Amino acid sequence: MATVDEKRKRILGYAAVVLFLLFLPILVPRFYIYILTVIFVTSILAMSLNLVAGHGGLFQFHHGVFYGIGAYTAALILAKTSLPPLVGFIAGPIAAAAAGLIIGLFCVRLSRLYFGMLQISLGSLVWAITFRWYDFTGGDDGIHGIPIPALLSSINRSYYFILTILVIVMILLYLILKSPFGGILQAIRDNPDRCAAVGINVRRHQLVAIVIATFFAGVAGVMFVVVEGTVFPDLMFWVLSLEIFIMCLLGGWFTFSGPILGAAIIVSLRTFAGVYTEYWTLILGIILILLIFFLPEGVMGFITEKMKGKEPEALRSTEKEVDQ
Amino acid sequence: MDAGHTITFAVIASHFLVGISRAMILFVVSSGLSFVLGVLRVPNVAHGSLYMLGAFVAHTIATYFGGGSVAFWFALIASPFVVALIGLVAERALFCHLYEREHLMLLLFTFALMLIFGDLVKIFWGADYRSLMAPDLLRGAVTIFSSPIPRYNLFLLIAGPIIAVALYLFSNNTLIGKIARAAAVDREMVGAIGINVSWVFAFAFVLGCFLAGLGGALVSPTVSVTLGMDHDIIIETFLIVTIGGLGNMWGAMVGSLIFGITQSFGVLFLPQFAIVFPYIAVVLVLMWRPRGILKSVW
Amino acid sequence: MTHKKKDFLAVILAGVSALLLISPLAMTGTAQARNIKVGIIDCYSGPAAVYGNDALNGFKLALEEINKQGVLGGKIEYTTRDTKFKVDIALNMAKELVMREEVDLLVGTINSAAALAVSKTIAKEQKIPFIVWISKDEKITGAEGHRYVFSTADNTAMGGTAGGVGLSKKPYKKYWIAGDDYAYGHAIADAAWRNLKALKPDVEKIGESWWKVGEPDLVPYLTSIMGAKPDAVIFCTGGASMTNTLKALKTTGMAAKIPSWIHTAIDHAVLKPLAAEGPEGVTGTIQYLFYYPETPENKAFVDSFQKAYGTPPGFPAFNAYLTAHFIAEAFKKAGKIDKEKFIDALEGLKVKNPVGGMVEMRACDHQAVYPMYFGTTKKVPQYDFVIATDITTLKGDEVLPTCDEITKSRGK
Repeated sequence: MATVDEKRKRILGYAAVVLFLLFLPILVPRFYIYILTVIFVTSILAMSLNLVAGHGGLFQFHHGVFYGIGAYTAALILAKTSLPPLVGFIAGPIAAAAAGLIIGLFCVRLSRLYFGMLQISLGSLVWAITFRWYDFTGGDDGIHGIPIPALLSSINRSYYFILTILVIVMILLYLILKSPFGGILQAIRDNPDRCAAVGINVRRHQLVAIVIATFFAGVAGVMFVVVEGTVFPDLMFWVLSLEIFIMCLLGGWFTFSGPILGAAIIVSLRTFAGVYTEYWTLILGIILILLIFFLPEGVMGFITEKMKGKEPEALRSTEKEVDQ
Repeated sequence: MDAGHTITFAVIASHFLVGISRAMILFVVSSGLSFVLGVLRVPNVAHGSLYMLGAFVAHTIATYFGGGSVAFWFALIASPFVVALIGLVAERALFCHLYEREHLMLLLFTFALMLIFGDLVKIFWGADYRSLMAPDLLRGAVTIFSSPIPRYNLFLLIAGPIIAVALYLFSNNTLIGKIARAAAVDREMVGAIGINVSWVFAFAFVLGCFLAGLGGALVSPTVSVTLGMDHDIIIETFLIVTIGGLGNMWGAMVGSLIFGITQSFGVLFLPQFAIVFPYIAVVLVLMWRPRGILKSVW
Repeated sequence: MTHKKKDFLAVILAGVSALLLISPLAMTGTAQARNIKVGIIDCYSGPAAVYGNDALNGFKLALEEINKQGVLGGKIEYTTRDTKFKVDIALNMAKELVMREEVDLLVGTINSAAALAVSKTIAKEQKIPFIVWISKDEKITGAEGHRYVFSTADNTAMGGTAGGVGLSKKPYKKYWIAGDDYAYGHAIADAAWRNLKALKPDVEKIGESWWKVGEPDLVPYLTSIMGAKPDAVIFCTGGASMTNTLKALKTTGMAAKIPSWIHTAIDHAVLKPLAAEGPEGVTGTIQYLFYYPETPENKAFVDSFQKAYGTPPGFPAFNAYLTAHFIAEAFKKAGKIDKEKFIDALEGLKVKNPVGGMVEMRACDHQAVYPMYFGTTKKVPQYDFVIATDITTLKGDEVLPTCDEITKSRGK
């Protein structure tokens, strides 16, 4: 448990980072601001996944589908209707959460890897429909040149907007994790059988967590539309879902802000390694292996360890025992 | 839609045969994945890359020996061993140091391997399309039920069950096979009776690589050997292994047959939606039997 | 963690960061008269890489010639980014090229969705000229076209029309349509069928089948088509799927029984690896063949390409070669490095076709106009793979939608 002093230090630390980010657009060229915005969007997505995957212990293998549903809903409303943009911004996350509820209802009946595989199948159905339904979703070509409200359309404006959303999402996720619900969720992760034995409805808690996580994935999807002004079926393809999962693992998957670091590492590696070589996936793979070997707790785990000056708690040891 | 042809017994029979022959390749690849999942408990996402490697190595060996029938048979046998060797090196050099870690970290590792293999194949072989020729004996088609079935598909129909039986005999009648099967069910027990679990894992991983390579070599005469083959197969094999029962070899066979046949009949009856049939099959199977059709070792 | 490991990690991190810091310095050369910077976003990984590489080679070859004299006192230089066939990465890379490298124009890509995304969200928004050189989506210069996007690629309208016109001269009546289930396949099918039906109203479509892109086993599809006994089949496929289609056509013996047309089936990138296994009797259309027409210009082009890269040029190399000359000539005509002047100069510009004659960049829709070749595969003694024979040439304006049609499609 963090002491009051440590807590204040941490809040101060976050505030300093946010303050720094607020002034950044004055200091650095706009391409870096754009990449930071992309990192923010990816961070929202990775953090939403980590709520169910890291803190909930669920094999949410096809999280990208909900990101895509959020993005497509917003894009369709912005591009094909004359409704105010705000409707699209609100409808995106709601549609994602609704899909999360439906797919979640099927999946929570299953455990571990079976959960993940059923989700991949159901998610792939959504992907296949999006890919094929030319009249509605634009098929594999996607929808491009989506009109973004002028208020958000420049790089700096979208940067500030998405930074604000990221901070709000972080606060909300933090509150959820610290709430009694969050406590139960993590207890279920660590020992589902014991939780069931003391009368906790495991499936219902997991389902609620999925709906919350998919809602935030929808938020990330809407933000993607704000930054790029475009949607395409790759957003729902399993490759992207695997990448988000990897970001959580890499950043440190039992930590709160680890997924942000994971997102930042993957996005910046692929952008800046891509500048120098077409073999950037090779570089990415090698760096991943180095990180696995030298930073076993994930990058965030490593940083916390350094800051505390001691080994982080061995949360992981409980993990192995529970899978049957 | 406007299927302007009548669906006769002959058409159904030929679709059935082709569906099963496709299932045989899926079986070879997914049984390898199942083995690794069963013993190591690792969802090896690099499995598709090893399959791709198998196809490229087979092409290179066959071309090196002149591309004739003998070269093809030699490539078919040698290529899986080359892939297994590559697997062994990766396992002993890197992978084996990670067994004590949480096994989702192993997933991260196999993801990194997938990225690396993808680019290494491009560096060694380049981007050109390649094509391997089937041996003279297996070229062309024979007419069965009045529709042409390629001879190579018939060969797969025979090769698949032979490989399945060989795998079965191997894992039931050899010591290492028995130990691996025991490790899949209860790994603590195997460790407790003084067997080096690390080497059992190495064996399972290498066998998985061998089967992936064999699948790649087997498929190479029917498709274009090209970059990106890894992505095409990996999700299919994962789903097959799941519906069959994790770690169960016969489950991989059942899953492959379900996949191959639903795909083949989807084409026949509703070609517009053939793409979604296997996914629907998986959803239905998991709704019906949430832990796969046959007994899972997990 | 031991000290040794830590040191090792520190060295690696230091090395990587040093590399990242130094290389931009090393790359900014000492150019006095300003060079023209072209940013290439294309796919150099996965099954599409074979086309990306061919285009890049064609572009490099043209630049070697162009840079001997230079353009506006400088040279044309380029930098490439690999998109991995992903739209989001293409957008990241394109923005990086525009904002960080400050390229004068963008060129690429094989992926239609990426081409459309870059065209509409970067080229149009930020007023950067973008020349599409492989993607065949007719929307790029058709319904979704605008001032800042150009295409030197043959699009689905041209390919489909060429097929429709070519097929209308054949005696077949009952057709089956089959192909890859994505935008490219459907667009080709629509254009081919529309034109064929218009030119020959008594043709009849007896069925369709569509498979997922990259489907490895096409035999079940082909057997059910053969069961329906059409007079001819229109296949709409490309890339690696094309190889699978041609292999299946050969092994099932369908190529010998039922004639079929596939756009780009006579592309040697596909036929060469098949060697003796390439099916005879398949008809295809394409805008460039290294063995036809046998003009001295074409021979010289093929020789220098073969010398530089070890293979004959394919259609992407042809497109890219044209692209390079369009860029050079347009800047020369514009008189200075200015994006708007460049576009004005490029509209209606004519450059030399490497096979002889001229190629025009049509002003109304920014589409390069060149002839298409319609031919049938056959084994010949000169090559160890099948090539197109019995070739008819369809003129550029025969296969392109008219300017009126373009205006109409953009108007809605």
